[in-house]
Amino acid sequence: MNDISTSLGKITLKSPILNASGTFGTEYFNFFEQEVLGAYVTKTITLKPKEGNPSPRLYETETGLLNAIGLQNPGLKSFLNNDLFELKDCLTIPLIVSFSGATEDEFIRVMEALELHSGICGYEINISCPNVKNEGIAFGTDSDIVFNLVERLAELTERELIVKLSPNVADIALIAQAAEAGGASALSLINTLYGMAIDWETGKSRLSTPVCGYSGMGIKPVALALTYQTTRAVKIPVIAMGGIHSWQDALEFFYAGASAIAIGTANFSNPLTIPEIHHGLQTFLKQHNLNLRDIIGKVN
Amino acid sequence: MQYKILPVEKVEKIRTNYIQITINDEEFASQCSPGNFFQIKAALASQNRRLFKPISVFQVEGYHISFIIKVIGPGTRALASLESGEKLMIYGPLGNSFPLVQDSNILLVSGGTGYPPLAYLKSKLDSSNNILFLDGGASKDDIFPCDYAYTIDGSLGIQGMVTKDIAEFLKKESFDCVYSCGPISMLKTLAQIVSQAKQYVSMEAYMACGMGVCYGCVIPTIDGYKRVCYDGPVFEAETILWAEL
Repeated sequence: MNDISTSLGKITLKSPILNASGTFGTEYFNFFEQEVLGAYVTKTITLKPKEGNPSPRLYETETGLLNAIGLQNPGLKSFLNNDLFELKDCLTIPLIVSFSGATEDEFIRVMEALELHSGICGYEINISCPNVKNEGIAFGTDSDIVFNLVERLAELTERELIVKLSPNVADIALIAQAAEAGGASALSLINTLYGMAIDWETGKSRLSTPVCGYSGMGIKPVALALTYQTTRAVKIPVIAMGGIHSWQDALEFFYAGASAIAIGTANFSNPLTIPEIHHGLQTFLKQHNLNLRDIIGKVN
Repeated sequence: MQYKILPVEKVEKIRTNYIQITINDEEFASQCSPGNFFQIKAALASQNRRLFKPISVFQVEGYHISFIIKVIGPGTRALASLESGEKLMIYGPLGNSFPLVQDSNILLVSGGTGYPPLAYLKSKLDSSNNILFLDGGASKDDIFPCDYAYTIDGSLGIQGMVTKDIAEFLKKESFDCVYSCGPISMLKTLAQIVSQAKQYVSMEAYMACGMGVCYGCVIPTIDGYKRVCYDGPVFEAETILWAEL
């Protein structure tokens, strides 16, 4: 059997496929077995509950999806009292909790609380959500801020520490290096690009928040280039995402240097995307008698 | 809830802009309740990377489930292009359902594509109830079988909005329960007029996942933003913050 497993910082994943935060739930396990996922990444939580942005929050374009959700979530307390129990009960695969904050202190308080609970394999630090002001992305665009935040968080945990990066920066390599220097054990990228749509008949923005997040197949070339640049700038592994719909797309990201990939928007257009990619990768590796690790970063 | 790729049993063009699609599936048919919807799209290459469309159930007869779909954009046009035996991708049933009452005076009010879930509801309300069904639309092509029809252009039934005479109906008769589905402006007007009776509305919304995961389809309620796909689509009208819509 050709090996599809991958190393991700401190952990080994049996499958190199993850879900992108906020695009997935255990509901999908009605459609396929969870073991095709290497780990389950939660929707981003914050210290306090977040209402999110008004509707409309979604608009489908010809090349992808615009969203302006705004990190709606019930907050840390509710997550710990409800969701975490349900997830631990349901999951047989590693659990990664995604969280964000408006201040360094908020990030730290969330992590300190999560550290008290078992059953969590690692964290994804969301410093890249484009839909919340002074939060998320405000942390992810300045390398000094990223370094300081990650350094403080890394001191608090032995668990996998993934930092999720934004594509909406001048030089992603600098941010990636700052996260690595701060003590991140892996990076994930890309969060959504800035996007916008206007109803040409009325001149009205299609979404309640005019400049919002753009995901889906249209961002794949951008995500691939940023994966390539980042994996050449750091030694820690990268979980790549951005417009991956097929196993062929996935292979491109592995060749570019990704150690794992994540599926987001594609879950919405085909709920079986994850198992189909898993099957396609396995078949490809078998046909070429390769292990996944043989091709990571081997673009020529 | 399951995901399947199923052959279409029948696709009928029932109006200029409406089609009726029927599938035959025992599991789905046995799981449906009025108000539920499915995420549907044509299994065609052109639709591979497109979102599913949330479509309410119109009719369940035996194992046959029918949907009435207004042809609006590329997704619904692709569905309309299907022929018997061609496949669609479908998952569901999704969302909550209308509570079924008995021995009640019931008013059903639908507008445009809001008709199918109310027609399905009507078929499931037992004979102990007394039901009045009003349907409204832009033109006669938008009207389906009901007690009173309202068209904006006056081409069928009474000229005007479906909400036009409701205040009068309410004066003449007392209703225990009002069920409605249609455009937000219609539901909003209705919520203002109906104050005595219990009112359930089925909300329409743009969706991505259809099962509560993405938080893309929320509406403002007294308990914060609620997902139409998961917390709804059926809501008690008094819980919705209509002024914010």
